[in-house]
Amino acid sequence: MINTIKSTKKITVLLLSFLLLLLTLSAQANSCEGSSVNNSVSVHCGEAPSATFDQDGRLWITFVQDQHVYVSHSDDSGKTYSTAVVVNPVAEDAEHNGENRPKIIVDADSNIYVSWTRKTSPRFTGEIRFSRSMDGGRTFDAPRTINDDELFTGHRFESLFLTESGHLYLTWIDKRDLEASVELGRDYSGAAVYFAVSSDQGASFSENYRVANNSCECCRIAIAPRGPENIAILWRQIFGVTTRDHAIAVLTPDGKTMEMGRASYDEWQIDACPHHGPTMIQSGLSGDYHISWFTNGDLHQGIYYARYSFDSNTPEQVFRVDGNAGASHPYLAEYGNTLYLLWKAFDGQNVNISLITSADDGASWTKPKILQSTSEGSDHPLIVKSENGLYLSWHSEELGYLFEKFTADTAGVRLGD
Amino acid sequence: MISSRLNFPILLRLAAGIFLFAFAAIAAADNFKPFNADSFQEIKSSYEGQEFLLGLWSVDCPPCLVELEFMARILELNPEIPYVLISTDAIEQREVSAEYLEDLGFTERESWMFADSFVERLRFSIDQNWYGELPRSYFFDTNHAMKSHSGIVSKQLLQEWFSRTLFFE
Repeated sequence: MINTIKSTKKITVLLLSFLLLLLTLSAQANSCEGSSVNNSVSVHCGEAPSATFDQDGRLWITFVQDQHVYVSHSDDSGKTYSTAVVVNPVAEDAEHNGENRPKIIVDADSNIYVSWTRKTSPRFTGEIRFSRSMDGGRTFDAPRTINDDELFTGHRFESLFLTESGHLYLTWIDKRDLEASVELGRDYSGAAVYFAVSSDQGASFSENYRVANNSCECCRIAIAPRGPENIAILWRQIFGVTTRDHAIAVLTPDGKTMEMGRASYDEWQIDACPHHGPTMIQSGLSGDYHISWFTNGDLHQGIYYARYSFDSNTPEQVFRVDGNAGASHPYLAEYGNTLYLLWKAFDGQNVNISLITSADDGASWTKPKILQSTSEGSDHPLIVKSENGLYLSWHSEELGYLFEKFTADTAGVRLGD
Repeated sequence: MISSRLNFPILLRLAAGIFLFAFAAIAAADNFKPFNADSFQEIKSSYEGQEFLLGLWSVDCPPCLVELEFMARILELNPEIPYVLISTDAIEQREVSAEYLEDLGFTERESWMFADSFVERLRFSIDQNWYGELPRSYFFDTNHAMKSHSGIVSKQLLQEWFSRTLFFE
C-alpha cells in the first residue's frame, strides 16, 4: 500500500516535471517571460535585434542584453538559435532602441562585422563602435571606436553597409562641428553626418569624412548601393532654419560626397526630435531608389513612399502610405520584382504590422493587410531578405523575437480577432 | 517539516525585498509619478476648471532640454503657472531624468514618467493625433479645450495660450 502511494507520488512528480519542462520549452520558443533561467541570454530576452542571412542561408542575429552585444545564428531560419557569443567582453552602454540598434553583416568569406553606438553619458554623447569575427562567429576582435575626433560629444545612430566591391561603410550622426561652433560662440543647428570606410575587411578604417552639416540629430540613416563600390544615403536634414525633410547623397570609398539632393518636400517646420529615420532600397527593375519616411509637415503628414532618381533629382510617385496618427517606422524590401513596404501603426488597442506591395516598381500599391499585431510594447519591424524570400524581423514583449517568412500572398494574421 | 524547509527562502526573499525597496526609495529621491493609460485623465481632473500647461520631454531629445531651460526661466518669472511635466522615458531610468530636472530647478514640479513599455497606448491616451515627436506641449484652457504644439514653445505662443499676462523679462 505504502509502496503504491510512493510510486504514484513518483509518477505525479515525474509528470509535473515533464509538464514544467514543456511549459519552459514553449515559453523559450517565444516570449522571454517564463524562461527557465532568469537573465538567460537570448534574442527573446535581449533587445533591439538585427538580422542577416549569410550566403549559405544561415541566419545571423545581433542584439543587446545587459550592456553586452551578442551574436547568435540559426540554421532553421529563426526557430532555434545557437548559444549567443558576446562581442564586447567588457560591459558598455550599447544603445538598444528602434532607431539605434546593433548592426550585423556577414561577407562572402563568412567574416562577421558588427557595429553599435556606445552611450558615453546620458547627455547625447556616444561613440561609434565596431568589431569583427574572422573565425565564423566563434570569437570577436576587441571593439574599436571608429570616430577619430577623440571628443566627448555625440557620435550616434550609426549604420553599416558592405558594397559588392567589399568596401565596408559606417555612417553616423556627429556633433564635432556643433562643438566647434559653440566654442566660437556661433549657433549651429542640429548635428552633422559623417562616414568612414574600410577596404580591408574591417582591419582598419579611413579617416572620418563629413557628408553634410545641419542634419537632424536623432534619426537613423538609410543606406543602399550606388554601383559596385559607392553608396547612396538618405537622412533627415535641416533645410533653412527649421525644415526637417530628407536629403540624399552618394558617398565614395575615397571619402567624397556627390550628387547631393533633396529627397522629400514635406515642409516639416519643427525644432524637435522626430526619432524617425527613413528606409531606402535600390530598385532591381529601374535602378532608381525606393524611399519611405515619416513626416508631419505642412504639405504631408504620415508615412510616405517615393521613387527617387539621381537623374531627375526629384522624388516621384509620392504616395501617402498611412496618414493616421500612430503610423510609424516604414521598412522597404524588394524580392522577385515585387516591392514590399511594411510599417507599424497603433489603432487604439493594438500595434499592427501592416504590409503593402507593388508589382510595378512603386507606381501602384495593394491595399494594406495586417501581418502581425500585439497589445504590448514592441520594436520597429524590419525585413530581412534571403535567396528564398523575405522575413519579418520583429521583437515584442508579447511574442519575443519573431522571425517569420511572408509573401505578398501571406494571409493576414490575427485579422478579425 | 516540509513547510519549515520552504519558509527559510521565503523569509530570505522577503528580507531582500524589503532591503531593495528601502534602497530604491533612497536612490529615487525625486517626485516622479508613474504615468500609465489612466494618468492623463487623473491630471486633467486635478486641474478641473483651471488653465494648465503640459510639457512632454525626454533626455534623448536635445531640443527638449532647450525648452526646459526656457521654461525654467519663464517659471522663475511666473511661478504661479500650472506646469506639469511628463517624461516619455521609462520610469526605470528615473535617476538620469531626475538629475536633469534637479539641474533646472524643477524638483518641486509635478512630474510624471512613462511607466508602461506599450508607449503607443500612453501616447494615444494623451492625444490620438500626436506622432511622438518631442518636445510636445499641450495647453488646456479653463474648459480644458486642448491646444498642441510640437517643437520648442515660444513666448508668443505661451502668451497666446494663457489668459493671464505673463512676464518675460
